[in-house]
Amino acid sequence: MLKLEDYRTVFASVGLIGVLLFASPTLGLVLHLPSGEKFSELWVLGPGHMAEDYPFNVGADVNYLVYVGVGNHMGCSAYYVVYVKFRNQSESLPNATAGTTSPLPPLFEFRLFVEDGKSWEAPLRFSFSNVSFFGDRCLVGSLMINGVTFNVDKSASWDVENNGYYYQLFMELWIYNVESRAFEFHNRFVGLWLNMTSV
Amino acid sequence: MKGLCGRFVKAPVLFLLVFMIFSLSLTRLPFYVSASDEASSAIGEADNDLRRAFEAVLEAESVGANVSGLIARLNEAGELLAEAEIADKIGSFSEAVSKAEQCSVLADGVMDEAITLKGEVLAGAQIAFWQDLTVTAMGSAVFLVAMFFVWGWFKRAYAKKLLRMKLEVASDVEA
Repeated sequence: MLKLEDYRTVFASVGLIGVLLFASPTLGLVLHLPSGEKFSELWVLGPGHMAEDYPFNVGADVNYLVYVGVGNHMGCSAYYVVYVKFRNQSESLPNATAGTTSPLPPLFEFRLFVEDGKSWEAPLRFSFSNVSFFGDRCLVGSLMINGVTFNVDKSASWDVENNGYYYQLFMELWIYNVESRAFEFHNRFVGLWLNMTSV
Repeated sequence: MKGLCGRFVKAPVLFLLVFMIFSLSLTRLPFYVSASDEASSAIGEADNDLRRAFEAVLEAESVGANVSGLIARLNEAGELLAEAEIADKIGSFSEAVSKAEQCSVLADGVMDEAITLKGEVLAGAQIAFWQDLTVTAMGSAVFLVAMFFVWGWFKRAYAKKLLRMKLEVASDVEA
């Protein structure tokens, strides 16, 4: 049989647990538990909203469709900008290790606001025009993105290893930092390799 | 004679034409520059308005407001600003100004609503906090008093049980 002092300890413990249970709604308002890892997602899907059938062998005056998406897991709503850029093989991509962006000027941009735990997706339609081939070089004169034509005048040399004139259409994710009141490269980028095959 | 006369007439007309074209090009340049400046200024203002609206929405969200509707409207404003930036990039300055102004109007509206929403939520949250605190205090007090009575009853029952116990003497215990 337990001693009276032991029963007293049991009663005190039950009393403390009971008080904590009654105080839990108020404690929930005051105490904030640390949230999980904060990150964002950036993706490109093919025309069927799947990770397949991406355009690769492309030609002039043909319309291509992909979907660009952003997922927010930052713990609060976020303000993003997705910059669409176009490069040839000799121009630099963003550096994920150094966290630096590509120095190329953006052609097109999406500005979007996403709540925490939610995602955003938009179509990206593009086509090329004024494409010419001379010798071992290919020149793309214009690139139309979502109905807006940009003069790019970008040339690519014949890639002997991969047999093609390669370009890359890529997207960079930038996020608005409320503290610095400026946009920062969010160290996320995705791209599509495109092999220019016909005029 | 007629050819000479014609040449005399043609020369001033030609000069006048060249002068007019030159003047026009000079007058058009400031228009172009001012249109570009106007577009840049409108875009800068819209960008600022959109950032402030987002910050207001974020503050409303931090106090527990449901900001889904405001986020949807911010997306509309963001789309307009992106269109304005692109129009400016391709030289459609009037379109850029128009889109930027629409963005500013939308962003201002969102900011006002976010501030109002934050105020409402804060007032509601304060009432909820005091209600929770009252429930906690009252509940805890009632529970502790109940525990105190149960403890008293238990102590008495425990003592009675002890008193009712018979003394047992073991017969085979060696002294």
